[in-house]
Amino acid sequence: MVFGKGAVNMPNILQTNQLTKTIGGKDLVKNVNIHIKKGEIYGFLGPNGAGKTTVMKMITNLWKPTGGEVWLFGEKLRPASYEVLKRMGSMIEFPSFYEHMSGKENLQLHCEYMGYYMSGSVENALEMLGLSEAAEKKVKSYSLGMKQRLGIARAILCKPELLILDEPTNGLDPAGMKQLRDLLRMLCSEYGITIMISSHLLSEVESIADTIGVIHHGNMMKEVSMKEIAEKNTGYITLAAADVKKAAYVLADKLELDQFKVIDGQEIRIYNDRIDTTELVSVLSVNGVEIISIGKKAESLEDYFLKLTEGGIR
Amino acid sequence: MLKLIRLEWKKNNIGKYTMAAFILAVLLCLFLFALAFLGIAEDPDGTLDAAEGMNVISAPVELFTSMSFLIFTSVMLSSFIVSAYKNKTMNLMFSYPVKRQKILASQMLAVWLFCLAALVFTKLLIYTCIYMGSQSMESTFAIDFNMGSLSFYVQLLLKSVVIVSMSFIALFVGMMMKSSKAAIVTSFVLIFLTQANIGDFSLAGNRVFPVILTTISIIFAVLSVWNAETKDLL
Repeated sequence: MVFGKGAVNMPNILQTNQLTKTIGGKDLVKNVNIHIKKGEIYGFLGPNGAGKTTVMKMITNLWKPTGGEVWLFGEKLRPASYEVLKRMGSMIEFPSFYEHMSGKENLQLHCEYMGYYMSGSVENALEMLGLSEAAEKKVKSYSLGMKQRLGIARAILCKPELLILDEPTNGLDPAGMKQLRDLLRMLCSEYGITIMISSHLLSEVESIADTIGVIHHGNMMKEVSMKEIAEKNTGYITLAAADVKKAAYVLADKLELDQFKVIDGQEIRIYNDRIDTTELVSVLSVNGVEIISIGKKAESLEDYFLKLTEGGIR
Repeated sequence: MLKLIRLEWKKNNIGKYTMAAFILAVLLCLFLFALAFLGIAEDPDGTLDAAEGMNVISAPVELFTSMSFLIFTSVMLSSFIVSAYKNKTMNLMFSYPVKRQKILASQMLAVWLFCLAALVFTKLLIYTCIYMGSQSMESTFAIDFNMGSLSFYVQLLLKSVVIVSMSFIALFVGMMMKSSKAAIVTSFVLIFLTQANIGDFSLAGNRVFPVILTTISIIFAVLSVWNAETKDLL
């Protein structure tokens, strides 16, 4: 197989190069580069309105890029690229159905259009999403969460190689969210399906994602593997003292620490890893700082994510 | 393509439309039968109250069936296509490995074929009833058709094609304005334009006009699917 210019790192099942979409003179997303490796779960994170759906619409060919390109399965996506759609399952925004038809009929219709005929696949997908009992009911009688689950069932129905899910946990209860996470992990490990899942909540994807891409105001802030994050963020010591100013002075002057910051004038976070808590307590006590509490904490991914979206780390 | 058309019918609950078309056919038949034989178009003195050239029975038959089915077809096109854009099922359709133009064409054909069949059936039903009635009753309208000749059937088919195709103009307007209402209003405007008469002048009887109209309809049909491949679905 010959790959054209731009398809350089081709273990990537999906890659975007400088992907840009401008509507009415406004850049919805700008120069977005995404790299998704085969077999991984990619968490696409960003606050509401950051451009996640726009990117996903371009990946699924619903929207055409103003600039840049999308590479799927080693081929550049063009307006007439229809064959790649057979290898993808997607749910973008809230799923739409033929409401007068039953859940099962909707899925059967999907199989017809996808050209996918495998006996038992519809029942299997309904079973996986816990919709077997509602299979024969008309979709118009479904609740919001049920429709969402039916949308996910439809996306995974034809055993796609790449699954694109846009905020799939919308409308799901906590138990449903957990069920979905387990399901996605299973699809990835047992069927080798590559999954791109978007969310505005880090907690939804951090436990399942292998890589996280963060988008903010239409710009890709960071693409980082979870492993890398774990290595980068070794943690910090948190210290609460009666007189925070004095404590900070002791840290800087007596202990010669340079990597700490005062949070809200009440708490100090010390990032230097050469100091341990015993030494810290003794020096602070000697210098007359009254310690209220002290402890070690790993920086939560939430903090890291917030830093990225608030423009802290580039 | 046939498979796509069949799926369109299935998805859009064609049974509902079959029933509606059947009821419409029966109502039109009753009305036109009454018009022909029960004297509802007559003045109190028993003379026919019709414009010049409209005193033959085929005139009201063509007028009322055309009017009804042009609206019927536009309503159907609206719910098959314009509504699909609005309720986002078109997003789903466009995520399938099928050419978008083919999807749109199959939707248009699904409606076109159904409505053509329904219109031909309705006209045949009406003409048969009137023919049967004319065997035993007197009509104030002149009975101007001959169900034994081939040209009657050819004309009936061609006229039906013109009327059903015309709704593509309404569809185009509906798609442009993203509004089912706009499509249906356009179909009314088209009726006035093509069927109404000003004094003795009417475009309905003109022989060249249907050809022009069908050509325009086809151009609008092509325009409706033309840029589907590259246009964003908003």
